[in-house]
Amino acid sequence: MTEGPTFEALALPLFEPLYNYARWLARDAEEAEDLVQETYLKAFRGFGSFTAGTNFRAWIYRILRNTFLTSRSGLRGTPQVSIDDDPDRFEGLAEAATPETIFFSRANAAALQAAIEALPLPFREVILLSDVENFSYKEIAETLSIPVGTVTSRLLRARAKVREALRGSK
Amino acid sequence: MMQDLTAEEVERYADGEIAPESLPEIEAHLRDCSRCANAVLGVMQMKRAVRAAMPRFTPKRPLVLRKRASQTFVWFAAAAALIVIAIGSEMLVLSRNTSARELADLHSTILASANPIDVVSTDRHTVKPWFEGRVPFAVNVPDLSATPFRLIGGRVVFWHGRPGAYLLVSKGAHKISLFVFESLPSLGSTPQMTIDEWRANGLTYVAVGDVSRDDLEALRRAYGG
Repeated sequence: MTEGPTFEALALPLFEPLYNYARWLARDAEEAEDLVQETYLKAFRGFGSFTAGTNFRAWIYRILRNTFLTSRSGLRGTPQVSIDDDPDRFEGLAEAATPETIFFSRANAAALQAAIEALPLPFREVILLSDVENFSYKEIAETLSIPVGTVTSRLLRARAKVREALRGSK
Repeated sequence: MMQDLTAEEVERYADGEIAPESLPEIEAHLRDCSRCANAVLGVMQMKRAVRAAMPRFTPKRPLVLRKRASQTFVWFAAAAALIVIAIGSEMLVLSRNTSARELADLHSTILASANPIDVVSTDRHTVKPWFEGRVPFAVNVPDLSATPFRLIGGRVVFWHGRPGAYLLVSKGAHKISLFVFESLPSLGSTPQMTIDEWRANGLTYVAVGDVSRDDLEALRRAYGG
């Protein structure tokens, strides 16, 4: 009898990365733990619906994210994005990212962190998934249930917003 | 020479997301165009800075410690309720139905625990010796590879002051709790679950669960009953 990897084999190595991601989403240690627990519960129950051979990491991150979005603080923290702030609308890149505008030193790491924390969720999560969790665009697309092209444009806008915030903080 | 990269191409290049067939042209351009090279460098610097600036959080409670983590994933498996109880022949003065309900409750309690199992292994040759010296009898861990059942792990349990072995087995999405006790009375039934009892090798086996009787009978056969 041949079977794919077990839930345990797939899910356990992701425990700490999931917690880290949950912590950034929820901004609260206890809530992050609850989120991870609930995520594992849902993933465990729904494991039968996971298609072996597809991306398990994206699948379980998507569960975590959806769990967060429907949690109290998720609902509170992510009001509907206004049309003006549509994360997917981006009218060209007016500014070039030059080393002068994005010179990052240790001194402004705190400012960088604050800038990312202040981003609306749609921007914050693409930066976290891409730069902190090292997700590919395809994985991010699967996690967020958006097209890959949207991942690209959203990342572009997210990084532009961070640069903007850093310039403002100087 | 190709035109300057678009903003999205700059992002995708820095993120390693350019299709392989487009890479040579883009890299040739980056060698010649300082404006685009600067833009790419800027995004790469930012990615590195973000990674460095964002502290990685690790969970504090034991529940989510690395070692324990391997045991925590099943705490929430209470929904899947199938109990197989192997018990000995000595009688206790217990109502049969009460016993069944108590063991069903014990099953739910264990699965609801943060650490339902102490030895995590799909290998019966790991799980079986683990019980040696921990329970006063040899624990029968049959080879389940030819069956729809899979061994997840085990622990020691106590019920009415008696040590018992607990094995966690899965069948698809269903979790099966297998209690092995020496010397317990046969069980009755609970209205919530299917119950099946059999005796083999001086032990009494009782299967309890929300699964079909066919499943319980398949498990009985896997255990040589």
